[in-house]
Amino acid sequence: MNFVALQMLTSDRAKYLGLIFAVAFSTFLMAQQSAIFAGLMARTTSQIQDIQDAHLWVMDPYTQYFDEVKALPDDTVYRVRGVPGVEWAVPLFKGQPRAKAGDGNFRVVVMLGVDDATLVGAPRKLVMGSYEDLRQPDSILIDRVGYEFFFPKQSYRLGQTLEMNEHRVRIVGIFDSSAPFQNFPVFYARYKNAINYVGRERNLMSFVLAHPAAGVTDAEVCRRIAAATGLRAITADEFGWQTIWYYFHHTGIPVNFGITISIALLVGTVVAGQTFYIFTIENLKQFGALKAIGVTNARLVGMITLQALTVAAVGYSLGLGMTATFFEVTKDNLDLRGFFIYPEIAIGTALVILLIVLMASLISIRRVLVLEPAVVFRG
Amino acid sequence: MLKKGLTVFAGLVLVLAILSILRMRPAHATVHPPSPPPTSGYAKSIGAIGLVEAQSENIAISVPVPGLVTRLYVKAGDRVQKGAPLFSLDDRDLVAELALRRSSAAVAQAKLQKLLNSPRPEELPAAAAKVRESEALLADAQVQLDLIERVKDRRAIREEDLLRRRLAVNAAQARVEAAQAELQLLRAGAWKPDLEVARSQVAEAEREANRIEADLERLTVVAPIGGEILQCKVHLGEYAQAGPLAQPLILMGDTTRLNVRADVDEEEAWRLRSGAAAVGSPHGAAGQRLTLRFLREEPYLIPKRSLTGDSTERVDTRVMQVIFALEPGARVRPGQQLDVSIDDTQGGR
Repeated sequence: MNFVALQMLTSDRAKYLGLIFAVAFSTFLMAQQSAIFAGLMARTTSQIQDIQDAHLWVMDPYTQYFDEVKALPDDTVYRVRGVPGVEWAVPLFKGQPRAKAGDGNFRVVVMLGVDDATLVGAPRKLVMGSYEDLRQPDSILIDRVGYEFFFPKQSYRLGQTLEMNEHRVRIVGIFDSSAPFQNFPVFYARYKNAINYVGRERNLMSFVLAHPAAGVTDAEVCRRIAAATGLRAITADEFGWQTIWYYFHHTGIPVNFGITISIALLVGTVVAGQTFYIFTIENLKQFGALKAIGVTNARLVGMITLQALTVAAVGYSLGLGMTATFFEVTKDNLDLRGFFIYPEIAIGTALVILLIVLMASLISIRRVLVLEPAVVFRG
Repeated sequence: MLKKGLTVFAGLVLVLAILSILRMRPAHATVHPPSPPPTSGYAKSIGAIGLVEAQSENIAISVPVPGLVTRLYVKAGDRVQKGAPLFSLDDRDLVAELALRRSSAAVAQAKLQKLLNSPRPEELPAAAAKVRESEALLADAQVQLDLIERVKDRRAIREEDLLRRRLAVNAAQARVEAAQAELQLLRAGAWKPDLEVARSQVAEAEREANRIEADLERLTVVAPIGGEILQCKVHLGEYAQAGPLAQPLILMGDTTRLNVRADVDEEEAWRLRSGAAAVGSPHGAAGQRLTLRFLREEPYLIPKRSLTGDSTERVDTRVMQVIFALEPGARVRPGQQLDVSIDDTQGGR
């Protein structure tokens, strides 16, 4: 019977392809838009994610998200070190100074200042150079976006200089950064250098990065730090989500993508559902004949479900293939880096497509179930 | 054909897509810090920033008077004894003045000597001769008077002659007395009060010279204690200002033992127990754990040292300073910063 079901499905090529492509494009639209949306949101947390060696962040209790920080007094780092359960703590500076190239080209950059002694937070995988060279005077690491902006169409070369706040800085390494939300270039320098590259302020330390001692949970250490210092201590993940929620609540991005994804869902459901419905209606005669020869309703439901699943599987595969192709094509574009298909999105889209196709088939099934076998002989 | 072909193609595409998805996902693996950050090692501890200093504390050498530096006897790293000269200021004006004062003293001394040595021996014979001369003149006048008085016949002489000769004797007598008095005055030598005045003048002139000498001595700055020259920011030909300076001319201290001055945030200060043990590690060498022995705590909390140096800035944090002694032979230098962890295991939060 399954063979019959599949034969029915593929007998009309145009309809079959119509169904498949409806599902495929619906998949593509949903997966691609979701991935872009997720990527865009994840971009807001790029610099949090890029710091891979510490996962507790201590900040002013009123901090809303990563890009807006209030500096802490420098000895906060010593207070955090004194909290039981804190294995170690180091300062981190985050600022947005302006960098100027020799030809006058300038740009606001994301400047991260890592602890002078330990370099906690420095990027580990460099395209060129070594993060250990940060220990040299006036040295910075620059990301590829920054390098290609300041030195367009030049091959990567270390030792180039830029100017920041009347200071000369020397590039000792080029690395791959996760894209910041505004796609600013990202610079790394040592803390004591980095604070000179922005204007004079009394308090300059943006964050304290801490690490819990063995045997103490992150949550417990965070609670202790908060109790002892009055500051907020959260894990990198929590901080990332806090930042994402800030953008979620305060920008039009989720609304925009929400509408696109909803339309993809709607169009997918309507087109696929309608096509499938018409397809079933047109095959009512065959179903009637099957019923007339004594095929049970359960068997018919099984056949329609099989048809639906086949359409879903083939359509989804093609749609996901298109999405993957899109991201494969764009992955080498520096400005589009950080966008990729989360496995969760692939699975979620699969579930949604399944739902759409099953819903569409349900409507059709109703017609088949109430079908009188005699209809075959009326026409 | 279409059925099979499309299904197979779709399956292939799905496999490729899944591979692509799995490959594209960026890895954010946890990594270890490039250099290990400092850890306390105590169950509970108070964190602080420490600064290594000499056990005598660091002494910023100053000058009593401003002046041009003309001689430098030490360089950074030298070990000096107490009282050893460090550098000298320009002393040309004082040397000239000293010469002047010395000559004044010599003049006063000479004047005194002159008084002490009077009368001049050469003057005495002249005065004595004058006495003798006047005596001779007196004798002559007496003879003239005697001659006229011996005349019996009063009419033979003029009364006027007689009177004149008598007066001449009196005058000669007076001249003898005058000459004798002069001889005596000459013989008596200098008057005592004159000598006293001269002696005082000598003493005063000598004290003036001594004062200049003392001023000259002050121009050479000497080591107040035995120790090591930590920093020498004074150079030949530079003008040394008196008073406390932002950049001391010479920084020295007794570095036979080193101490650590740890700044504890005022909000943590209450946790500090007197006598608490501590460990410190130099910046950049967290693996080095230096044992610190509690010495004392400063009774007065000071504002946290500012970093910008802006005079208008508001300081809202005060720190308590605790002094720890480093073990002898600790491989740190004065002025080096340590991450200090003070044991607070027995303290309660």
